[in-house]
Amino acid sequence: MVGIHHSPPRRGGVDAPKAQTGWSDRRNILAEPTTPAASRPPLLCEERNVCGLSLLLFVLLAASNCYSQTYTQRGFLETQSTLYPLEAPNDSAHAVGESLFRYEGFFNPSGSVQLAGALDFRIDTHLQVGRDFKLSWQDREIRRPVGEVRRLSATYHRGPVTVEIGKHFIRWGKTDIVTPTDRFAPRDFLTVVDNDFLAVTAARFNFEKGTNTIEAVWSPRFTPSRIPLPNQRWAVLPELPPGITLRDAGAIFPEGPQSGLRWNHAGAVEYELSFYQGFNHLPSFDATPRFTSTGIDVDVRRFYPKIIMAGGDVAAPTPWFTLKGEAAYFSSTDNRADEYTLYVIQFERQTGEWFLVAGYAGEAITRHGTRATDFAPDRGLTKTLLGRAAYTIDANRNILFEAAVRQNGEGVWIKSEYSQLLGQHWRATLNLTLISGNTADFLGQYHRNSHAMIVVRYSF
Amino acid sequence: MSRVLTSAFSTFFVLLQVDPRQIVEEAQRRTTTQSQRYEGTLRVIDARNKVTEKRWQYDRIGSHGSSKAVLRFTAPPEVKGVALLVLNHPDRSSDQWMWTPALNRDRRIALQDRSTRFFGTDFSFEDLEERDTNQFDFKLLGEESLDSAVCWKVQSTPRQAKVSQYTHSYLWIRKDNYAFAQIENYDKDHLVRRAHYSDIRNDQGIWTAHQIDMHDLRRNSHTILTIEKLQYNVPMNGDAFTREALSRES
Repeated sequence: MVGIHHSPPRRGGVDAPKAQTGWSDRRNILAEPTTPAASRPPLLCEERNVCGLSLLLFVLLAASNCYSQTYTQRGFLETQSTLYPLEAPNDSAHAVGESLFRYEGFFNPSGSVQLAGALDFRIDTHLQVGRDFKLSWQDREIRRPVGEVRRLSATYHRGPVTVEIGKHFIRWGKTDIVTPTDRFAPRDFLTVVDNDFLAVTAARFNFEKGTNTIEAVWSPRFTPSRIPLPNQRWAVLPELPPGITLRDAGAIFPEGPQSGLRWNHAGAVEYELSFYQGFNHLPSFDATPRFTSTGIDVDVRRFYPKIIMAGGDVAAPTPWFTLKGEAAYFSSTDNRADEYTLYVIQFERQTGEWFLVAGYAGEAITRHGTRATDFAPDRGLTKTLLGRAAYTIDANRNILFEAAVRQNGEGVWIKSEYSQLLGQHWRATLNLTLISGNTADFLGQYHRNSHAMIVVRYSF
Repeated sequence: MSRVLTSAFSTFFVLLQVDPRQIVEEAQRRTTTQSQRYEGTLRVIDARNKVTEKRWQYDRIGSHGSSKAVLRFTAPPEVKGVALLVLNHPDRSSDQWMWTPALNRDRRIALQDRSTRFFGTDFSFEDLEERDTNQFDFKLLGEESLDSAVCWKVQSTPRQAKVSQYTHSYLWIRKDNYAFAQIENYDKDHLVRRAHYSDIRNDQGIWTAHQIDMHDLRRNSHTILTIEKLQYNVPMNGDAFTREALSRES
């Protein structure tokens, strides 16, 4: 669950929009959501060598099943239907369908080496998924790709040392819902409240000895989070005066590596210190006005500011609950970006069939940047009370409630979910999400996006 | 009448002479191995007799209070890859972490949460610990027949250092081979869970139950764990029992 971070309008005398991307309403969008060719990264299959290598590895992974007992696989085919009772100003669709096929394979050629691969294939009814079949590696498309190498990595471990190289998932931090130190974890925020993690291309070195773990990460290529499409309901559009038109000027992806270091101690009280330098995977926006014969065109361009993060987290068990805390300070040499601290305090308890989480996320801004606006779900959920309650009815059925309530009461998000396993392979899930509040609020701006979702998954 | 009295007196004197700690320690000694591996099938039978099946692979290195174990689900497909790491300690409760592939992160199972059911089975997280005799006080209650085998009935009470959901337990240990026949776990006066051990076979010189029926009396639900492909003293690396290793599929 995420929200949007707002910044006051600043640039060029043009009132930049308060909501996330700064897109105008549909009438005024002249550019289709594309990334300019100049800055668009090559897709995997355009990089023939990488594509060939990926396919070869997948063939090897699949073939190894015949010859080795150390191959494991899993996956699913999932179809979800989402119904929106309310119409959004920029999106008349009330129903969206999407299917996802995911295959994951793990091959251990020896006791100390593991190859892991995962492929996603998608199709949908709402053009959230691209229509050109390319096997994507970079995850820089603004739409979800039809085919995607979700993961492809090699892991070597010996004694206390583990090294993993390739495209894989790296998770830092202990808190849920908002995780300030989780810097190598971009997400697909196309439908903001139902998001999924994207892998990063990186080398990870892990040293685990006793209760201490040190991890170093180096990522040569930046992976951004995917943001809502400007012509769809999850991009909430501001009202602009006639004559002002927003244009998508694409994105500037940063060059250069990202790196991070963390130390974790898992004693009776578990704590972690982490440091990251690189780029924010959530975009900020610059708006540049151009005066034309018909009015003002505003070019809106995504950029990903350089950031340095220093943070830490702690999990302390008490007789009644586990207290978790996580905080991170973000600074930047880019004066367009804010400098700020994010913090989360969370209580967690598992009792009987209940799993309960309650917490508060906060933010303190120490410097205001000069960019027009941000798409910052992590900051958008600050100054918010967060809660989650999951109940296991029996071995096959469970229910879940999640909620986020802004402390000023201007935004509320409530999700309830019932899920049932049918036989050994099928699971059906009904999800009802209610969003209400003020349009100017992070959560409240999505008040026309309350929805019901039915998900049917076949796992293998 | 005299025969009954004689029998009662002889039992009384046997109880005076037998140290219950020695019985439990002998049972522990006989099951001490370098490692253990098996594939387990769990049939969860709820109060309405609805049956759900799960499978896991269990690897353990070391024994009892100094062991480490990884338990990884292999079925049903939707939980494939979910894993639990248990680091047992001789002088305190274990440390436990659960890995969920869908989240790509592990979660520590806090001590106060160990009484909850493990992944929809009737085993609690605490039941998956390997217990060391030093963490308990014992009292011999007598002898009873169970499944046609004569057993010692021993009461075990956790010492203060050991935080447990159970205030005390009754152990039935077979006299012929020192294998556990049954454990009843109590919360004050209430019987909470009963583990019944059956199909006891000699595997590599170790008497091992191949079927454990865990009965949650509060829910009136059973989980029957059937142990297959059991091996002892399999070569294993200690680095397979770390949090980092938990995230590696096997």
